[in-house]
Amino acid sequence: MSPSTKRPLPPNPLLEQFLSEARDLLENTGKKLMQLEEAPDDQEILNELFRGVHTLKGNSGLFTFPEMTRVLHAGEDLLGMVRSGHSTYSRELADRLLDAMDYVGALCGEIETTGEIDASRTAESQQMTEALRKLMPNPISSVDKVAAAGSNGESANSAVPSADDPGYRPSPLGSIPEAVRMAAIEQSRHGDQLHWIVYRPQRECFFHGDDPLNGARQTPGLIWGRVLACEPLPSLAELDTYSCLLGFDLLTNAPREELDQYYRYLPDQVEIAAVRPSWLMNEREEEERPSKASSTASRARSFSDDDEAAFDRILAAQRQILLLEDRPVWHAGRLRSVAEVLANLSQAVGETSARADIEVALEEALSTGHNTLLMAWLDGHKDLMLEAGLPCSEVAKNGISAVHVESIANIGSFLESDPGKLATDDGVKFGRRAEDASSGPRSLKVDQAKIDRLMNLIGELVVEKNALPYLAQRAEVQFGNRELSREIKGNYSVINRIADEMQDAIMQVRMMAVSFVFQRFPRLVRDISRKLGKEVQLVLEGEQTEADKNIIESLADPLIHIVRNSLDHGLETPEVRRACGKPETGKLTIRAAQQADRVVIEIIDDGKGIDPAVIKRKAYERGLIDEVTLERIGDQEAVNLIFAAGLSTAEVVSDLSGRGVGMDVVRSAVEKINGTVVIESELGKGTTIRISLPLSMAVTQVMIIESDGQLFGVPMDNVVETVRVPRSAIRAIKQSLTAVLRGRIVPLKSLNTLLGIPTVPRPNSDDELAILLVQTGSEVFGLMVDGFKETIGLIQKPLNGFLSGLSAYSGSALLGDGSVLMILNVREIV
Amino acid sequence: MPIEFKKNRAVFRDEVSVEEAEGLLEWLQGKPTASADLSALSHLHTANLQVLMAAKTGISSWPKNAELRAWLEPALNSGE
Repeated sequence: MSPSTKRPLPPNPLLEQFLSEARDLLENTGKKLMQLEEAPDDQEILNELFRGVHTLKGNSGLFTFPEMTRVLHAGEDLLGMVRSGHSTYSRELADRLLDAMDYVGALCGEIETTGEIDASRTAESQQMTEALRKLMPNPISSVDKVAAAGSNGESANSAVPSADDPGYRPSPLGSIPEAVRMAAIEQSRHGDQLHWIVYRPQRECFFHGDDPLNGARQTPGLIWGRVLACEPLPSLAELDTYSCLLGFDLLTNAPREELDQYYRYLPDQVEIAAVRPSWLMNEREEEERPSKASSTASRARSFSDDDEAAFDRILAAQRQILLLEDRPVWHAGRLRSVAEVLANLSQAVGETSARADIEVALEEALSTGHNTLLMAWLDGHKDLMLEAGLPCSEVAKNGISAVHVESIANIGSFLESDPGKLATDDGVKFGRRAEDASSGPRSLKVDQAKIDRLMNLIGELVVEKNALPYLAQRAEVQFGNRELSREIKGNYSVINRIADEMQDAIMQVRMMAVSFVFQRFPRLVRDISRKLGKEVQLVLEGEQTEADKNIIESLADPLIHIVRNSLDHGLETPEVRRACGKPETGKLTIRAAQQADRVVIEIIDDGKGIDPAVIKRKAYERGLIDEVTLERIGDQEAVNLIFAAGLSTAEVVSDLSGRGVGMDVVRSAVEKINGTVVIESELGKGTTIRISLPLSMAVTQVMIIESDGQLFGVPMDNVVETVRVPRSAIRAIKQSLTAVLRGRIVPLKSLNTLLGIPTVPRPNSDDELAILLVQTGSEVFGLMVDGFKETIGLIQKPLNGFLSGLSAYSGSALLGDGSVLMILNVREIV
Repeated sequence: MPIEFKKNRAVFRDEVSVEEAEGLLEWLQGKPTASADLSALSHLHTANLQVLMAAKTGISSWPKNAELRAWLEPALNSGE
């Protein structure tokens, strides 16, 4: 490696963009590979896949990452072969390609952190490349064969045709049919720059997915073209179908830049030359030129029956135009065009002298307004022109391999229609890639920090806004100015509306589809199920469901955990499934849907389910439930015990019917983002895990409670109900207080005690205590407080610095009057 | 199938891709007198054209697509 690549790269916007694009491309490539597994024959997916890898390879070539480029190149070649049908898609192949993509991803990561790829990677990349190449069916055999046959592949493929090449004629334009040649001369006289393209495809071009004939056909501005064999074609027995021996000569009137653009992927296979008018004359013609005008024999030849018919039609059309009675303002233009057509026609049949006559007739017609002279010329020359063309039609038919443009009329329409054809033809654009489309980006990539800042600002605005009602109140109460108070309230309502909308808009920006998390599942499920020898069909539903970015991101780990568990412990092996009378392929459904202001995600498998009896017993053995509970607990409740921390040790899992690994981790992760998780399972039929999450974490609905003169917030997600219980109804069982609420014994705890405040809960005048029933997970208990206040939506800020160690609070928020509200973390304080 | 192999005639339809070339070659090897019907053809992959050129296959009808015909007719007629 050269020293320049050793040193860490300075921050390079191009590199950053490359890495960000590479990540997207890799992700997409992985996805496409999965899809291909489902539909191995889908050419569309294959093409996209190929293009993705191709782009990635091309981009990586901009930097000095030979390791990456090498692997990608091999991947591209392999995909190219699959695409062209020389290799078949197999699981093995997909594995290798996925490995390669992972490897490239790892390299990207390395580049991102260290700015370079460590030299030690070279060997790895070599191995990876070889593994990929191994899957190609004799990738270089065709080339080898050619080389062995004695002909130098390089020179045969080169764009410059050699003199001894039998298929090539030294005078490049000599083989054009006369009609085309004449038209070309005419065009070139009118200032159109024509180009002559010698296109000699590489022998192995078929393997790159090229179709040279298609490429030639789509060449912009094509006037004429021909196919020729670059060397004598071997007999059928020796012919290698996949080695391209054909070449193309093309004449076009497209500008050079367009041609360069069109052929930019094949610069080594084409030679584009500007056509000099003299090229268009053949030697004989140049000799005969002086006597040409009078000599019928020297008139251009190539006049077939078709040409004759077209000729007739053109003349008839001109006649009709001349016969038109009306005299619109563009009449002069009409006449000029007729004259031009006639001149061109006579030129096409070799009557070059006719132009002068026609021009005289045109002048006359323009000055007098009568068409008689033009008409007379037309009538007088019609037969002559046809006669001139006719005897030669035989010659044209015997012309060597030349594209025989059907009629002179066609030349015109061919040229005119060409750009349109290019635009409307939705076939594969030769030499054009999707990235050529010059449409501007439809979405912005914005740093999350910027959005977060907006979020914070809007949060502050909301808080400031909430101060206005207090101000209005003060204006009225303290200063006795009702009118001012009313005005402030009016302003407040306007600001309130705008702030709400703004908040909503920013929320929208932060919204992300769950597909962000879902997209990794096809790969995960595939890998795990193959490792476990299980057949699993993954069904993803509602991938477009959106939720806040933070929610979606924090969802990833729990979901992966659950899916892994389902695959590992839930779904059975094909044999077991068959024995149970279920289809061999298990089904795992991951479904997301929005329900009111929450996102519900369900992970459903049709595996063996969870045996509540086993769970109950295990939970009892571990001391998680007492005997009474053991008797009382229902099956569903029992199944949900797997979320209890004590049940999540590996040892338990192996005995249990699965689902033990870190389910409490799942629960705490979900609860951290104010979500809930429940499990439903039917033994032998399957398990459903349902995660319910808030759409957005930004606004939390909080109930404000009062205790010992202080205000606290309790997230509404935890609140079950608020009750007032007479003090007499509260009983003490051992050390703990309980009350019977709705036929259920509910343990009671004093918030003051929990927070270490040395006062007792204050009853109201009726000697009732305010009890807030809260729920954490499946537990319900009562918090004894002094009083309830309103519920408000607020933007919760996490505690920073020293305070971040206080687990009793999940965060803080500013109230409208400027005071700070501490939000209780209910799960932590009990 | 883009190419339909009849008794002694191959009928080409729509777009004939590179995948067909191998089969076409094999078929033509067994039938030196076979002809090709290209009337419904809209595009022929170069590999197939090459096979037809090498086999000097007779063409029973040319493509209806005039532009394609203009490409194929000289190449296949001259027997180069």
